[in-house]
Amino acid sequence: MGYQKIFSVALGLIFTVTGAGAPCVFASDPPPEDGGGSVAVRLHLTDGPVPSGDPNAAVWDTIQPAEFKLAPQVHWPDRIQEVTVKSVKVRGMHNGQDLAMLLEYADPSEDAADAAAIEFMVGDKMAHFAHGQEMLQVEGGPVNIWYWKKEDGKGTDMSAKGFKTIRAQDNQNVSATGAWQEGTWRVVFSRPLQTGDDHDVQVTPGEWRNVAFAFWDGEIVDGAVKEQGSQKAVSSWWYFRAEPPPDNSIYGYVVLGIALAAGFEFFLLRRIRRGNE
Amino acid sequence: MKGSLTKTVILLVGMYVFLKFILPLFTAPLPASLIFLYLALTLASAMIFYTMSGGSLDEFMGPIGRFLTGTGQTGIAGTARILVFVLFPLLVGWQTYTRLAPSDVPPAENRTIHPAPPGEFVGLSNPYERTQNNVMMGKGLYAAFCSPCHGANFDGKGPAAVGFNPPPANFSDPGTIAQLQESYLFWRIKKGGVGLPVEAMPWKSAMPRWEVELPDEWIWKIIMGEYDGAGQSPRTWEEEE
Repeated sequence: MGYQKIFSVALGLIFTVTGAGAPCVFASDPPPEDGGGSVAVRLHLTDGPVPSGDPNAAVWDTIQPAEFKLAPQVHWPDRIQEVTVKSVKVRGMHNGQDLAMLLEYADPSEDAADAAAIEFMVGDKMAHFAHGQEMLQVEGGPVNIWYWKKEDGKGTDMSAKGFKTIRAQDNQNVSATGAWQEGTWRVVFSRPLQTGDDHDVQVTPGEWRNVAFAFWDGEIVDGAVKEQGSQKAVSSWWYFRAEPPPDNSIYGYVVLGIALAAGFEFFLLRRIRRGNE
Repeated sequence: MKGSLTKTVILLVGMYVFLKFILPLFTAPLPASLIFLYLALTLASAMIFYTMSGGSLDEFMGPIGRFLTGTGQTGIAGTARILVFVLFPLLVGWQTYTRLAPSDVPPAENRTIHPAPPGEFVGLSNPYERTQNNVMMGKGLYAAFCSPCHGANFDGKGPAAVGFNPPPANFSDPGTIAQLQESYLFWRIKKGGVGLPVEAMPWKSAMPRWEVELPDEWIWKIIMGEYDGAGQSPRTWEEEE
């Protein structure tokens, strides 16, 4: 790490001397295509305990949410063309030991079969967002799914690698609590960052990982649950990251960079003056 | 004030104005990184030119040396010199900070939109004749299976399109199916997102693997319906030659 930072100081010096920093001045490349909504969830670092088990904790409202649009699940049968949950606001916190993620979404009715899930890739292999189903040209990995259902009243830690392979894990690490009020569900999931279980996503502060979401509206329509199984609202893969602890050594390296640049000026001047003499 | 340094500065400013403002009148705007590269090449050429003899080098470097040493400077020039000496270390500090500061931007993704298809799909031609009936059947199948995402108007704006990343392809855009052969569409529809190679990020695509649900005949007819409905023609071998 130390070498990397010293390298950065050197690069800063070199870039400045050679003018390679100039693209900042000329920066006018068109911005990336607007996908609408957020692309990443930030798990804010806190000193105290994370508000696991409390979807209405006041601290949640101090965090700016990421918002992701959702689509009806049309990727594989049984499909659905119209879903209740159109988007989800996601907030996250961690304290270096435990993490909590709050999903907030509109659902006009509170029903026993209402459900929400968060999906993660496990390990280093990329997994398809549809339950880590098999990809034809790429060897994919499994997914870890955290599932909450109103009538269960708890979170379930699940694994899947392909359709019809989803199962609850032997080792349950996830807890979840939901609260419905005036047409809005707030569901909080929590878990230790690291579990030591190979079937789980392991969250390391500072490291980017993929995340996806799914929701079921459990309203009873004509005697049947409106959304269940593969009939649900889904998101694509997005990103999340647990905020790393602040690294104050950065400022030391900034001072080092300034000192090196000042030294460079000093020797340059001395050389020019000697040359003139 | 007709020294070589002044000429170089005028050349660089002129080059920048040309690349940034005049060239885009005739062609697409250049990315900032390319403009910077051209300016660096211009500066390097000037440096090579002026360092060819001791005399021209002195002429080029003289004003810089006088400015830095403060020889004979008063008033604004003196203040500018102090500013340069103060700002340069601060700029280095800023560069160091921006390189080391933690970023909230996720890793960049370079997705290949139209990757090469597997060999067995290259050069296939549509075995069904482009008759009114076949096109109509294709459009009907498209409406049933494809339009929820790709849109009733073939514009990628179906009711289910909004939540997906990457978004469903817009067939009316001349940059999509008009650039592709029918065999390419056959591959993409048949194998879906999971059939993509690694550079196309198969783990993100929601395109179904239709081969498990639809017969090949329907897929070929859907392709016909798509081209007809979107007002596009497939790319053919003849056009490439």
